[in-house]
Amino acid sequence: MKTASIILIAVLAATASAEDRSALDAEVQSLRREVVDLNRDLFMLEEDLLFPASTQVAVFVSMDVGTFFDVDSVQLKVDDKEVANYLYTEREQEALKRGGVQRLWLGNLKAGEHEVTAFFTGAGPHARDYKRGTTLQVEKGVGAKYVELRISDKASKLQPEFVVKVWE
Amino acid sequence: MVAPQLVLAALLGAAGFSASAATGGPAAPDFALASTAGSNYRLSEYRGEVVALVFWASWCGDCRRELERFERLRRTYGSVGFTVLGVNLDAEPERAAALAGAAGIGYPVLLDAGKDVSRSYRADDLPLIVLIDRNGAIRARHSALDERDEGGLLVNLRDLIDE
Repeated sequence: MKTASIILIAVLAATASAEDRSALDAEVQSLRREVVDLNRDLFMLEEDLLFPASTQVAVFVSMDVGTFFDVDSVQLKVDDKEVANYLYTEREQEALKRGGVQRLWLGNLKAGEHEVTAFFTGAGPHARDYKRGTTLQVEKGVGAKYVELRISDKASKLQPEFVVKVWE
Repeated sequence: MVAPQLVLAALLGAAGFSASAATGGPAAPDFALASTAGSNYRLSEYRGEVVALVFWASWCGDCRRELERFERLRRTYGSVGFTVLGVNLDAEPERAAALAGAAGIGYPVLLDAGKDVSRSYRADDLPLIVLIDRNGAIRARHSALDERDEGGLLVNLRDLIDE
């Protein structure tokens, strides 16, 4: 009788503790979700504060096909001042070729005209060292400005092509 | 008492806090460097692996021994998630490539001629070995190793691999 009581108590305790643990797990999951949301909101708020739309300029790099060019690095200058110099690993090159878009630089520029210059280095056709520069005059207005540096293939010339596109 | 710690750890993890907060080691500064073979390497791409950074130069007498030691360790533990990255401080990459070739090392030798990475890791004395855990936190620093030190290094390394 005594043994049976002990077993019964043990089973009840185990069940209760399993229920407690499950409730605690659910609570932790819910808290986790809230913290993730909060972290995202804080991140967005921080970006809004550090880079307000009135001065925000972002430069992105993308690649279309990429048969004629393996990007090794991109150096970015704004008004003749270097703001980014990025080395690409094999994995990052692959990601770009698969359609990934990289934010190379996010900064603040006052309204007016600015010169954005990008230098691309890498391996061109026949794996030869290749370096090209491209310059664009950007007119910064009141809204955020997005600049895309696109590396694409010019099939007619069997050469890569570097295109700069401005998104409003 | 365990539950609140678990909850805290889960929350810190969810909030994307650096591993250093949970493990007690500072976060390893990220970097990207070109290697003697021409490819580029970025430290953060090795998250999930235990990484040893071996800072060395061709003019450093004890460095060759460490390069060879870490080649042996890489062969032994490479299959269980251990990666070695050599970081060379020579101004001339040819010297680094020649010495690495002579020492028969199979891991990448990254060129830090500008010394930016070695400065961020405070590599004042060479060789310097920095062990980084799977979460990207610095867990141990070693200089030139004698036999007793090697025992300590192996203990650190196995602990990190087992985590």
